[in-house]
Amino acid sequence: MRDTKNIEKDLGQKKGLNKGLSRRDYMKANALVAAAAAAGVSAPAAASSLATSTTNTRMKWSKAPCRFCGTGCSVMVATKNERVVATHGDILAEVNRGLNCVKGYFLSKIMYGKDRLTQPLLRMTDGAYSKTGEFTPVSWDQAFDVMAEKFKAALKKNGPTSVGMFGSGQWTVWEGYAASKLMKAGFRSNNIDPNARHCMASAVGGFMRTFGIDEPMGCYDDFEAADAFVLWGSNMAEMHPILWTRLTDRRLSHKHVKVAVLSTYKHRSFDLADIPMVFTPQTDLAILNFIAKYIIETGRVNKDFVKDHTNFRRGNTDIGYGLRPDHPLQKKAKNAKKAGGSTEITFEEYAAFVADYDVDTVSELSGVSKDDLIALAELYAKPDTRVMSLWTMGVNQHTRGVWCNNLLYNIHLLTGKISEPGNSPFSLTGQPSACGTAREVGTFSHRLPADMVVKNPKHRAIAEDIWKLPDGTIPEKPGYHAVQHNRMLRDGKLNAYWVQVNNNVQAAANLNEETLPGYRNPDAFIVVSDAYPTVTAEAADLILPTAMWVEKEGAYGNAERRTQFWHELVPAPGESKSDLWQLVEFSKRFKVEEVWPEELLAKMPEHRGKTLYDILYRNGNVDRYPLSETHHDYDNHESKDFGFYIQKGLFEEYAQFGRGHAHDLADFDTYHKERGLRWPVVDGKETKWRFREDLDPYVESGKGIQFYGHKDGRANIFALPYEPPAESPDAEYDMWLCTGRVLEHWHSGSMTQRVPELYKAYPDAKVYMHPDDADARGLRRGSEVRVVSRRGEINSRVETRGRNRPPKGLVFVPWFDASQLINKVTLDATDPLSKQTDYKKCAVKIIPA
Amino acid sequence: MCSQNYSRLRMISHGLAAGLFALAIMMTSSLSFAEDNIATLRTFDLTQQPTPPDMPKPSFTELREVRNYPEQPPVIPHKIRGYRIDLNSNKCMSCHSRKAVGLSQAPMVSVTHFMNRVGQVLSDVTAQRYFCHQCHVPQLSVSPLVENMFIDADDLSSGQ
Amino acid sequence: MNLFRRMMNIWQGLGRPSRHFSLATLTIGGFVAGIIFWGGFNTVLEATNTEAFCISCHEMRNNAFEELRTTVHYSNRSGVRATCPDCHVPHNWTDKIARKMQASKEVWGKVFGTINTRKKFEAMRLTLAQNEWARLKANDSLECRNCHNYEYMDITAQSARAANSHQRLLGTGEKTCIDCHKGIAHHLPDMTGVEGWN
Repeated sequence: MRDTKNIEKDLGQKKGLNKGLSRRDYMKANALVAAAAAAGVSAPAAASSLATSTTNTRMKWSKAPCRFCGTGCSVMVATKNERVVATHGDILAEVNRGLNCVKGYFLSKIMYGKDRLTQPLLRMTDGAYSKTGEFTPVSWDQAFDVMAEKFKAALKKNGPTSVGMFGSGQWTVWEGYAASKLMKAGFRSNNIDPNARHCMASAVGGFMRTFGIDEPMGCYDDFEAADAFVLWGSNMAEMHPILWTRLTDRRLSHKHVKVAVLSTYKHRSFDLADIPMVFTPQTDLAILNFIAKYIIETGRVNKDFVKDHTNFRRGNTDIGYGLRPDHPLQKKAKNAKKAGGSTEITFEEYAAFVADYDVDTVSELSGVSKDDLIALAELYAKPDTRVMSLWTMGVNQHTRGVWCNNLLYNIHLLTGKISEPGNSPFSLTGQPSACGTAREVGTFSHRLPADMVVKNPKHRAIAEDIWKLPDGTIPEKPGYHAVQHNRMLRDGKLNAYWVQVNNNVQAAANLNEETLPGYRNPDAFIVVSDAYPTVTAEAADLILPTAMWVEKEGAYGNAERRTQFWHELVPAPGESKSDLWQLVEFSKRFKVEEVWPEELLAKMPEHRGKTLYDILYRNGNVDRYPLSETHHDYDNHESKDFGFYIQKGLFEEYAQFGRGHAHDLADFDTYHKERGLRWPVVDGKETKWRFREDLDPYVESGKGIQFYGHKDGRANIFALPYEPPAESPDAEYDMWLCTGRVLEHWHSGSMTQRVPELYKAYPDAKVYMHPDDADARGLRRGSEVRVVSRRGEINSRVETRGRNRPPKGLVFVPWFDASQLINKVTLDATDPLSKQTDYKKCAVKIIPA
Repeated sequence: MCSQNYSRLRMISHGLAAGLFALAIMMTSSLSFAEDNIATLRTFDLTQQPTPPDMPKPSFTELREVRNYPEQPPVIPHKIRGYRIDLNSNKCMSCHSRKAVGLSQAPMVSVTHFMNRVGQVLSDVTAQRYFCHQCHVPQLSVSPLVENMFIDADDLSSGQ
Repeated sequence: MNLFRRMMNIWQGLGRPSRHFSLATLTIGGFVAGIIFWGGFNTVLEATNTEAFCISCHEMRNNAFEELRTTVHYSNRSGVRATCPDCHVPHNWTDKIARKMQASKEVWGKVFGTINTRKKFEAMRLTLAQNEWARLKANDSLECRNCHNYEYMDITAQSARAANSHQRLLGTGEKTCIDCHKGIAHHLPDMTGVEGWN
């Protein structure tokens, strides 16, 4: 079954066998099965012999990256009669070598929830749109009519900053790119941000501040080379299971390998920990500074490396908590407006700065024993221990998330343990294309492709040049970031708003005070594109049914810079259309005169009378590749509709940004053949480790190491202190609340909760708490409780045993459950640098219900 | 198995409670969208805090479920409370390992589990598959909130 | 010299019949004193035989007890639970006294902090577990059987596999409880080399 040759052979044999079946046959087949299902009987299975089964020979197997997390596993998808009938781990994929986690193995069922949306739904009263109306099926034409009217009205009345878009790290590369163009160049609004803001923004901030270029220097090959692994707040056992298999393999097969796990509560990753450490929330900052002090104090700084390749800087402190400006904490913060500032210092000044973080102080602050702190520091300090640091949301969803990222790089830079096999500070990602789309395409409110930013006039000029648009098209002021979106919707500043591929009403913190009042503000028109009726769809005014995953041709980029493609394998149900189709089709509704000022248009009069579709997507780049270049074995609905190979056109135009600028992507067709390639791809070769000579083609000969993201080729080591969180437990709200995911469900559960096996494995959210905390409140396992914060509450049930074991004083509640919206409780405090919300720390009380 | 008509008891109980709640709310609140709940995984108004369902009991049929395709990981049909997998021990393997099945009469882990990352078959289960519950999960006695219309390849052909 | 004479007097006095108390007083008094002494001894013995006593030391509270709390022997459907001594102290008197005398070594361990940190406890876990496995193996899992008696098991109420295994292995005496049911109340030590755990 796992024989690679057989898979290849099967692939060869089965190509095209599916084509004989017409859509009509398919509908008939479906109708019969549906009728059988409705009658409560299952259609009898045909007698089959294993070898000659017709079923076997009629299946078509194709590769696709998994739809869930940022690991980027590849799966083999079997299709038959225009339906996905099986998914297997892809033995040819380097990332997962045939393995999947439980979610990945059930991928074949995510598209078949009975409640798939199949036609646009508009809130209507008496046949017309009304904010308070009921959802009524409408045609795409009607939907776009109303939508265009609302966008045009907003643009006319309040200008480009009154329209916005909330996208995702689950957009395909070209969807994110098309959206970015439509917003930044078409509507001339930078109010486009991805949900990756909730997920990766602090990681981006950390990379840009320390290295001047985004994304990890290492890759997953580090798992097979490291002698020690340190998990900083990450629960890889549940959140990145396949990477955990690689780590487990290394730990159990090589007895010298050590695993250190740090978290604010015990979880499944602790089961493999040699050094398990539970620390008081926010004190990771102090622990990281202690390690730096320990390295210096024990004389194990890699002096040559530090001298040749690093600078030292002192960052501004007291930077606030990204709350609304009138919040007392914001008013009190000295440097809230200059959060990103820093000044150059010497190594000696840096050493004096971290000297305060001695083992006694840090042990007392963090609650981690001195022995463990020293054992942890030794993993970094010992010159011959190759150490891999791994982190995700614990570090990123942190009001000092960028700092935390910076401090992590500090300890790798002080010891020179970076950019080589096994020595690897590795920022993991949570979404399948947080890197490939949100970050690389630059769908953030301040970014452009290839790490460029809207603030920089040269960067805007490059984009305008590639896009063949006049100077000054892209506005220079960064738009509203994700958290600001909801605040501005509430304040009536954002009036037309489009949400694609995410469930922000379930995700964004402080639902009661910001999100819901924002979405239901009569001054706002909210469009939600989704495959399923999520709570975000429920809060919308117009819902657009959306094709998902292998119902369209796509590309994702995973956490190790690997770009992976897939073909459209099955048609989307009913009238569902991909996000790409929706974006491009919608652009046809706007004449350029309706959205651009006359002085801009005057610079390129040839655009007069054209639509945004013409100038953004029929610009000679995007429509360059004819339909005939699409793969003959696979359908491509968008390209057929638009009359050219749109995915290829968008990708090749986008790739111009990075080629020759250390973000080189291979050509489009290559990716359909490969199991992904890690950029920069230069002369057809991928790059595994960056910044090191001989491994990275961008390092100049003779340099050895070159952090070329900064002009001087150096990385920054930052002096940054411990500062307290925005909210800590007190006499009334006496517990920490930490939120997160569980293995069986991905994000808000909109896909996994519809897979019966996954739902039955973990149906409802619960409140994990210490049995003593439960006793003290007269509670026991299963008791109904109210989880109450200053912002809102939910009802849930107590769990005192199981996979998560919090210390006294902390509760953990997962956020996948739409019936228990824990984001009513969480605080919308953000890192002032990255604008990423801290979902891991706020104060709550637990009351018997 | 997914074409079965799942019991919707849970949904009905949700629905009843929601109905009563909504009635109470309509009398006290002017929220205009309260009557329009389309989210299928949440049958309550967004502003409400529904009573969470009772903590479900594990379902242990002791029977093997039919898999929809070969690599669908079998669910765990028995209780696993207190079964630990950590650096010291792996409780699952005390019954499912190659040697243990004689005594336990439990199914042996499949040979794919003996293959390492490069596809070489080892004499023992590969370390990368050490944490069984990354793929194999127990089931609780609940009915899905939303029916899944996935169709098994065999059923699909017979339906033609 | 003085001291020696006084002690001799006491010794001689003990050997002489009583001059001041009647036989009845002596008999009854002795009996009452005996009851008080025995009662006191037993009370102390029983006091050391409670879970509260066991977990008054943090070594037990933070390790063994903490682990027990999540298991079915602590919390279950019917609320019948096992406390530390139920499994770790023999119920019949002579064995109990013998075990208690052994336990004096544990007092020593407490005083010298043999397992006073999690790390030390983990390091000793295999030895501690082996002691208990050996004891239960030797007494045919007596403390298990105090509650779980094979004769009174309703095999039909058990799952098919459990029923089969119990009849095949326990009923025939081929195995005793502890052979299969290790780690049911506490986490296991490194099981490398332990029979049935390879």
